[in-house]
Amino acid sequence: MKKFEALGLIETFGIVYILEAADAMCKAADVDLVGFENVASGYISVLVRGDVGACKTAVETGVKAVEDMGSSVYSSVVIARPHQDLEKIIARYSLEKLL
Amino acid sequence: MRYHGEEALGLVETVGMVPALEAADKMLKAANVELVSYENVGSTLVTIMVKGDVGAVKAAVEAGAAAAAAIGKLTAHNVMPRPIRDIGDIVSIYDIDK
Repeated sequence: MKKFEALGLIETFGIVYILEAADAMCKAADVDLVGFENVASGYISVLVRGDVGACKTAVETGVKAVEDMGSSVYSSVVIARPHQDLEKIIARYSLEKLL
Repeated sequence: MRYHGEEALGLVETVGMVPALEAADKMLKAANVELVSYENVGSTLVTIMVKGDVGAVKAAVEAGAAAAAAIGKLTAHNVMPRPIRDIGDIVSIYDIDK
């Protein structure tokens, strides 16, 4: 994975919605699912990486997928070029590490 | 990064990790500060801590707090100009590099 690639994040309530969002995100654009975090009290997030445009499309689609199921996302963001120190945080949530 | 106290510490706390990550990115880019820790403290609260000169930390916290509030819920933000050394030890329990 190239470093400093754009980052897309979605946070919502419960694993049912976040799985749907993650699926929609990865199908919508050329992004890789790189992270997952069960924050606490039902707050769950996923992180995807790819080009800025791909991340934007992925996040938009993810938000829509959750809304179509009748729920709403708590927050979502696209970071076009993450600061290098953010890599340390992202590494904590990497799926490779969690498995 | 190990934090020993006696240097300005900036804190931003949000509900959820998405605003926290956005805040961390904006803080690190806004001024010459270094990431000390990023911690999920529980009950959905996530805290970012940075260190540096007082002025830089103030600017970073302002930018981070604004960024977090724009996309999510900000619960607290603070600048500690010169915490005692023992505070540094507590903060370093959550050291990002550990």
